[in-house]
Amino acid sequence: MKKLTASLFPLLLVGAQACSKSEPPPTPPPTVAAAPTTTLPPAPSVSGATLGNAIGADKKVSAASETFAAKDTIYASVETAGTGHVKLRAVWSFTKGTKTAQVNESVLEFESAGPAVNEFHVSKPSGWPHGDYKVEIFVNDAAAPAVTKSFKVG
Amino acid sequence: MPPEDDDMPDFSDVQGGASSTAPAAKAYEVYVVKSGDSLSKIAKQHYGNANEWKRIFEANTDVLKDPDKIFPGQKLKIPAKG
Repeated sequence: MKKLTASLFPLLLVGAQACSKSEPPPTPPPTVAAAPTTTLPPAPSVSGATLGNAIGADKKVSAASETFAAKDTIYASVETAGTGHVKLRAVWSFTKGTKTAQVNESVLEFESAGPAVNEFHVSKPSGWPHGDYKVEIFVNDAAAPAVTKSFKVG
Repeated sequence: MPPEDDDMPDFSDVQGGASSTAPAAKAYEVYVVKSGDSLSKIAKQHYGNANEWKRIFEANTDVLKDPDKIFPGQKLKIPAKG
C-alpha cells in the first residue's frame, strides 16, 4: 500500500499542476477604428442690424441713426453668415402706449453660401407720424426675433 | 393684423422693400387683405398698374385658387418690383 501510494504521488502532482495551469489570456476585442468626424457647416445667423436713412452700394447703412424725419425712407441693414436656406422677415411696427400697429412686413429668401449684407426699407409718402417704432428681424420662421431695433420719428 | 383703430394713425400708404448681396435672393412684401380689396386694386397700390394682378396671383397659388376670391385677413406675397 505504501509503495502504491508512493508510485501514485508523482502522478497526483502532475495532475494538480495540469489543473492549476493558467488559462490562456482572453483574446482582446478587435480594435474599432474611430469614425471620421464630420464638421457641419455653420447654420445661417444674423449678426445685428443698423438703422439709417440711406445705404451705399454695399447695402450697408451710410450713417447709423435711431431718429428719423417724417419724410425719411428708413433702412435696416442686416448682415448674415453661414450656409443654407435663409428666410429673413422684417416686421416694422408703430407703438403708442400699450397699442402696437404693424406698419409693414417684408421678406428676403436666398441660399446662403457665405456672408451677405441685406437691407429692408420702408417709406411713407404722406409722412411718418411722430412717435415710437421698432423693426424686428426673424430668421427662418423662428418664433422670436433674432434682432429688435427701436427708433423714433420726430 | 389687429383691427383698425381710430386712435392709431393710418399706415395704408406705407411702401416697403428689401434686397441682398446674396445672388438670386427673392424679395417680397407680405400684404394683409382688407375688406374691399381685390388683386387688381392691390396691384395698382403696389405696382401702379392694376394689370400686374397676375404677378400677385402667380406668387400666391399656394393660398389662392381663384384670383377673384380673396378674403380679409389673408396674407399675400407681393413680389418686389422689377
